[in-house]
Amino acid sequence: MILASLCFLTIKNPTVVLNEMLNSSKEALSLSIELCGVYVVWLGILEIVEASGLSEKIAKLLRPLIKKVFKVNDPITEQLIAMNLSANMLGLGNASTPLAIKAIQKMDTGSCIASFPMIMLIVVNATSIQLLPTTVIALRENAGSLNSADIILPTLITTIFTTLVAVFLVNLCAKIFNRGQK
Amino acid sequence: MSAYILPILFILIFCYGHIKKVNCYETFIRGAKKSIPLIIDIFPYIATIMIGVALLRASGITSILANYFAPTFNFLGIPSELVELVFLRPFTGSGSYALLNDVLIQYGADSYISRCACVILGCSETIFYVTTIYMSKTKVKKLLYAIPVALFCSLLGSILACLLCKIM
Repeated sequence: MILASLCFLTIKNPTVVLNEMLNSSKEALSLSIELCGVYVVWLGILEIVEASGLSEKIAKLLRPLIKKVFKVNDPITEQLIAMNLSANMLGLGNASTPLAIKAIQKMDTGSCIASFPMIMLIVVNATSIQLLPTTVIALRENAGSLNSADIILPTLITTIFTTLVAVFLVNLCAKIFNRGQK
Repeated sequence: MSAYILPILFILIFCYGHIKKVNCYETFIRGAKKSIPLIIDIFPYIATIMIGVALLRASGITSILANYFAPTFNFLGIPSELVELVFLRPFTGSGSYALLNDVLIQYGADSYISRCACVILGCSETIFYVTTIYMSKTKVKKLLYAIPVALFCSLLGSILACLLCKIM
């Protein structure tokens, strides 16, 4: 993709190529430094959330729901999924990924076809309910928003809705697929 | 009203930490320390994607693509300015944040377009990237309907996001 646009631009206007590249990498550097400042605040707060056992509490609350939605019976898998989802809710993308990998490994049966709980985990992670879209809020704050938190509510409503649709669709597809196999 | 959400949440978290006898100062520092390696990890991706996006934009390819898809997206209620973002989102997290930053600066952080962009990003995920990583430790090759369903739900989320931003 980069190569294609590079060729295209070289033909069109060769003088701006290097200029564009250098400008944007400079921009990337300043964005990263700004983001770093933002992460200091959020990762600091979230570390307290984790150390005080608050994230485990949220995970505990989620477990009965997970049993129903994911149709898994193994308590360790349940807990991993619960922690994955609650990390996701708090906008801790980096913390949630290793948990999901572990959960998937627990579900692995060695087969080359994804099982129902695996698919459910992927899809629910894709739409995951967001209580705190931390990075997005941070970027908005940075860009001079007067009320950077006013996107929390629409985001929450949207993600709840899409997650419900996702759960429904996965169940529906599973049914259709099973019928097709018989 | 919603301006109070975050500060109050912070106060609650600190209080809860105190009740649970967590040393808030040291714990905060421990968390803050993680920000530097995180930035070092994602900086090359942000830079490369931003260079790529800048080239794409300068070459005019995106505007051609955006023009091509704009009617469909407009029909669904998604502003045509956000076509790029919706397309890039499933592939790269840091890249779409870089793009969001562009949108925020270009249109103003509190504009309708920026708010839509924020909600779209908040309620979606880097589907392809995440799926690859999740499955990396297993032999699973066939994901059946996982990706189409995930993509469909993201698109649905984008449509709903734009609708909600209009009324809220």
